[in-house]
Amino acid sequence: MTQLPERLALVFKEIPHLTVESTGERRLRVKSRPEALPALLGLLKNQAGYVHLSAISCVDWHETDEFELVYHLWSYELKMLVSVHIDIPKKPGRYITVHDIYTPAAFFERDIHEMYGVYFEGSPNLTPFILTEWQGPPPMLKSFATEQYARETFESVDYSPEWLQEIEAQGGKFVQ
Amino acid sequence: MSKTIPIQADGSAPECRPIAEPERSLWRKVIDNIANHCRSRSLFVLHYCTGCGAIELPPAITSRFDSERLGIQPMVTPRQADLLLITGYLSIKTLKRVILTYEQMQSPKYVIGFGSCTINGGMYWNSYATVKQLRHYIPVDMYIAGCMPRPEAVQQGFLQLMERIDQGNARSWQEYYKNYDEYLGNQQALFGTDWHTPTDVIAEAKHYQLITDRTTGEHTKHLDKFASRFLTRSTQGAEFPRQEHVA
Repeated sequence: MTQLPERLALVFKEIPHLTVESTGERRLRVKSRPEALPALLGLLKNQAGYVHLSAISCVDWHETDEFELVYHLWSYELKMLVSVHIDIPKKPGRYITVHDIYTPAAFFERDIHEMYGVYFEGSPNLTPFILTEWQGPPPMLKSFATEQYARETFESVDYSPEWLQEIEAQGGKFVQ
Repeated sequence: MSKTIPIQADGSAPECRPIAEPERSLWRKVIDNIANHCRSRSLFVLHYCTGCGAIELPPAITSRFDSERLGIQPMVTPRQADLLLITGYLSIKTLKRVILTYEQMQSPKYVIGFGSCTINGGMYWNSYATVKQLRHYIPVDMYIAGCMPRPEAVQQGFLQLMERIDQGNARSWQEYYKNYDEYLGNQQALFGTDWHTPTDVIAEAKHYQLITDRTTGEHTKHLDKFASRFLTRSTQGAEFPRQEHVA
């Protein structure tokens, strides 16, 4: 992409410390500071026609001890996807809701709170959403050992048919 | 018009002919055989699908493979259904609903597990949210292997189940009453000890005369706190004379 649409360029000029990068023909990757995100989203919605928040995704970065929140925005006029990335420290793992700007954000925040344990201040409802029977830690965290949990919680059937026993007798085994 | 009761010459009412035990059991056998034969020819499948097996059922039930040739057709309510198909993986949340559904079905009821997921978790073997072995939570009559089984395999499974019902061998539903404590214990391990269903399984076990020493136990004790005068639960169930458990 050679040039930003004028409306977008004007919005990006308003917010300091933004890095804007084009990752495809109709995709923009925007890196923002966490404290500037609500202002940026408000401007994008009101000035640039970005009325659709299609998803909020979360990445657990084990190395830097940070959560990366990605807000995916779509404009039906510009027909261009803007993904706004922010990093928040894993401890205390708190951020502010954008529910007041985009109503559907409440669902996404509830989901992220359940899966990653991020607390969104001001979010209307952070009660369990999908994992209503879940007692353990947020299961999408990298520190959560899924396989170990499954082994400890559920029993597995032993599978050793004759053909496998024959192979194992000759020193062979399953390779995963 | 009043019904006249035949009176014998001496004025006493005729006595019923006492039926000897061997004769009684022979009659029961004959009637059971007829009932089993009829049951196997008219199975209502509960309209309930989980996982990916759901997509194999439309062709199996509708005109392509046409299960209705075998007397199998979908039924929308659990209380009128005979057959529960678990068509794939079960998340823990779904399992709760499956148990509620299963307990509402009238006995005799049959369960078929589809595919590897119901046997050992299948491709979800290391998932934290899916159940690995269905048979720990409800008794399963048979499994249809595959991931997922084709409609041909589903039909073959239906035919085998019909044969087993006809011969009187599909009796897994009795296991649920006989070993209720164990099944409930496995359910409680996932849902917590406050887990209880509206169905009074122990009273049903009493009704079917299937109470064994494994129907109630340490796990069913947790149900006591939900007992009411409408629900037997375990305290009264324990007073009922028990049969010895036959392994």
